Amino acid sequence: MGTLQALGRGFAGAVTLPHLAWALAGTTLGTAVGVLPGIGPALTVAVLLPITFSLDPTSAFIMFGGIYYGAMYGGSTTSILINSPGETASIVTAIDGHMMARKGRGAAALTTAAIGSFVAGTLATIALTFFAPPLAAAALRFGPAEYFGLTVLAFTTVAALLGDSVVRGLLSLFLGLSLGLVGIDQLTGDARFSFGIPQLMDGIDVMILVIGLFAVGETLYQAWRRGRDEEHVITLHDFTGMSREDWRRSWKPWLRGTAIGFPLGVLPCGGSVIPTFVSYMTEKRLSDHPEEFGQGAIEGVAGPEAANNAAAAGVLVPLLTLGLPSSATAAVMLTAFQQYGLQPGPLLFATRPDLVWTLIASLYIGNVMLLVLNLPLAGVWARVMLVPRPLLFGGILVLASVGAYSLNRSILDLVLLYAVGALGCAMRIVDVPLVPAVLGLILGPLSEQQFRRAVAISGGDLSVFVTRPICGTLLVLAAAVLAGPHLLRRWLPTGEAT
Amino acid sequence: MPRRAAAFALLPILLASAPAAADPVYQHLRLIAPAAPGGGWDQTARAMQQALQSAGIVHTSSVENIPGAAGTIGLARFVTAERGTGDVAMMSGLIMLGAIVTHRSALTLHDVTPIARLVGEYEVIVVPAASPFRSLADFIAAFKANPESISWGGGSAGGTEQILAGLIADAVGVNPKRVNYIAFSGGGELRPSVLGGQVSVGLDGLAGFEPYIEAGTVRALAISSAARLPHLDTPTLREQGVDIELENWRCIVAPPGVSAADRQRLEGAVKTMVESPAWRETLERFRWNDRYQGSEAFAAFLDSEEARVLGILKKLGTGGDSAPTGPYPVLVLAGLAIFAAVAAAGLVRGRRREAQDGAAAAPATPSAWPAIAMIAIGILIDVLLVERGGFVLASTALFWATARAFDPNHPARDALFAVGVSIAAYLLFARVLELPLPAGVLAGWM
Repeated sequence: MGTLQALGRGFAGAVTLPHLAWALAGTTLGTAVGVLPGIGPALTVAVLLPITFSLDPTSAFIMFGGIYYGAMYGGSTTSILINSPGETASIVTAIDGHMMARKGRGAAALTTAAIGSFVAGTLATIALTFFAPPLAAAALRFGPAEYFGLTVLAFTTVAALLGDSVVRGLLSLFLGLSLGLVGIDQLTGDARFSFGIPQLMDGIDVMILVIGLFAVGETLYQAWRRGRDEEHVITLHDFTGMSREDWRRSWKPWLRGTAIGFPLGVLPCGGSVIPTFVSYMTEKRLSDHPEEFGQGAIEGVAGPEAANNAAAAGVLVPLLTLGLPSSATAAVMLTAFQQYGLQPGPLLFATRPDLVWTLIASLYIGNVMLLVLNLPLAGVWARVMLVPRPLLFGGILVLASVGAYSLNRSILDLVLLYAVGALGCAMRIVDVPLVPAVLGLILGPLSEQQFRRAVAISGGDLSVFVTRPICGTLLVLAAAVLAGPHLLRRWLPTGEAT
Repeated sequence: MPRRAAAFALLPILLASAPAAADPVYQHLRLIAPAAPGGGWDQTARAMQQALQSAGIVHTSSVENIPGAAGTIGLARFVTAERGTGDVAMMSGLIMLGAIVTHRSALTLHDVTPIARLVGEYEVIVVPAASPFRSLADFIAAFKANPESISWGGGSAGGTEQILAGLIADAVGVNPKRVNYIAFSGGGELRPSVLGGQVSVGLDGLAGFEPYIEAGTVRALAISSAARLPHLDTPTLREQGVDIELENWRCIVAPPGVSAADRQRLEGAVKTMVESPAWRETLERFRWNDRYQGSEAFAAFLDSEEARVLGILKKLGTGGDSAPTGPYPVLVLAGLAIFAAVAAAGLVRGRRREAQDGAAAAPATPSAWPAIAMIAIGILIDVLLVERGGFVLASTALFWATARAFDPNHPARDALFAVGVSIAAYLLFARVLELPLPAGVLAGWM
């Protein structure tokens, strides 16, 4: 049991007072940046790099690990309470989480998100501990064709996000896909649809779309509704957390979210966003009452929040075993490895086992800390709903503007933010769902790029998508997800399709 | 040290290593990395920040990331926003030269003030351990026999790796246009594709692949250096009959229009830094080659390098006038048009039905437009004022207008919160998180 022994030594290294203090600092900071829209863990770690330089590498990495996990916890808070995701990985959480908050059940939503994050984070860290090398080897079998297959599968999740009208849902999706066209074509370096504006050459940042559609759009929409039909003010707030019923409905989504998030995190494709969409779709499909989704179903919070934390752990698999960064934060952490004179790569486990195992051990500890930190906070945060609405929305707009501006420090981003906000408000008024647009902007460019890369590598031969077994399987799976329920209904006219 | 101090205060037990500087050249030097955190320019900037501070050349230093379009967005911003500024410098290098051509940037490196070349990294050509190519000769033979069947994986289009691929093709007598180059967004995305054998060969900086070469998971066919490196048993391109030498160099530039005194001050600071033990150690750690060149020699080098890059990119056919549309954008835009039309038709039909029913006709409620207009005014002030008047003023106006839109009965309370929230947000972001927000007219007080 070499692994257990090494892990034990890692714990011995991590459980010292200074290391625990760094873990606490990291998790607290991570939660904070997760809450703030537009500021992600990657930027935070980069900003902290010079400050941590006087530390020993172990302390620094313990803190970075804490920031990384913490951001996944914090991202859900603003999603649930004010319908403005702090991170892209928390977009899906906003759908049902915010509905729960508006029904006075914000504390329950925050609690299931925190516990789900803890369960997923811990289980995924266990998987990271024991199965990292074989998983990383398996991930290498994925090439552009397979990633294309994966994006096609991810596209099918849009079916769960369409809302009441298929046409309006697809309109939203295509809106996102169109926005995704803007910017430099990765493969040729040509600028597309950037209209000669240099800032548009890098495309429209997903965070601009998210903050604009959700935070700004929500503010404008509420202003538009004001006086129209006076929003029935929630008087009954429940700050106690989860009921027995909530637990019963949450535990399976937590586990399924973990099972979905971890492997998808290992694959460097779309980071921790895609798993949240897949988890949401899975929960809606498996639910006995799918009609509750979109109206405040706790499963719609529990699953995706578990999935994004599990994915965060998954990202560490290729990073630690192969030195491959598959997310922005991982790339910055890799830089940090180099700053400390460590060569990231296949030999890291062999050359610096002390560091790697202490880092892994501190992830377990960080998870416990985050749970302890976030559970009592759930009730406190939920009281944000009691802030007078004029002040709340004023604050949201200010935070949104900082988030958008600090992405690239560009006025154009600010203009785009408000334009997208107006669009978001209009979409709400005519009842077009917002989330498919975000899905389209994330998946569209990824999908196109992988498709063209695969075709270029094969020399123009389109058959690669069916002859490569993994890719073929993924495409068949995608077809099954789309057509399956309809076929089942046809074959079992009276039975319930499950 | 007000900026740093705030960041330090956030952390519980930090043994702040305040450099015991005798007389720093700069109180504060801003370094701009025209890339996202984690890339080569960002690494160089942060390494410089570290070395400058520990050598006592600057009191404090900050790194600002302006990512996008392989550095050309950062370049555009640097030239326009920092013109004549004396205490700011930007990272640049070979990749930016390529990007300027590929992205048809209106601004070039002629629009900035060259200060010094700093470091260089050699490129390696690697194949996975299981590849049939045992040597560069095997690979070149296969490439010449059927150029399109060989996929070359490397960094972004127009970057160092594509330049190298083009130079190699040109040198072995294959039209560079026939290079099947697969652009990845960087070494991190490329590596799995090379390790997993998805592309025929991978091109990347030596540092990116060195650990894998040592571990034996990839085989290096050639290195782009002039002579073999002491610690690496990889033959050069030149000794294998491909007469090419290429180094991915990085440099530092000042904005246009800086005074001669400011230029000399920066040149002096960089020279002192390059000679410091801290910088030596940095070079060692990142395995960068010391390629320091003062401003005059560097300006001449820049001209010759620009000519070479322009020549090969022209042969590669990037940055041409090719119509940037394929079937995919057409498909997407057509889909958007169709669904928008169907949805609009549905909406109109719904309205008509509502009007006929009469029951659901608009109730007699106050119009929403005043509230929307109020927020719109706040937004307009914010956009116009944020860079001219400063973040705090702009945000106060935005907050106040928004709050008033929802409830006009508490102007004093709203104003109080508007000012408080704006100042708090400014302090949190600009001071603690070190994300520069425009201080504007209040700069003296903040």
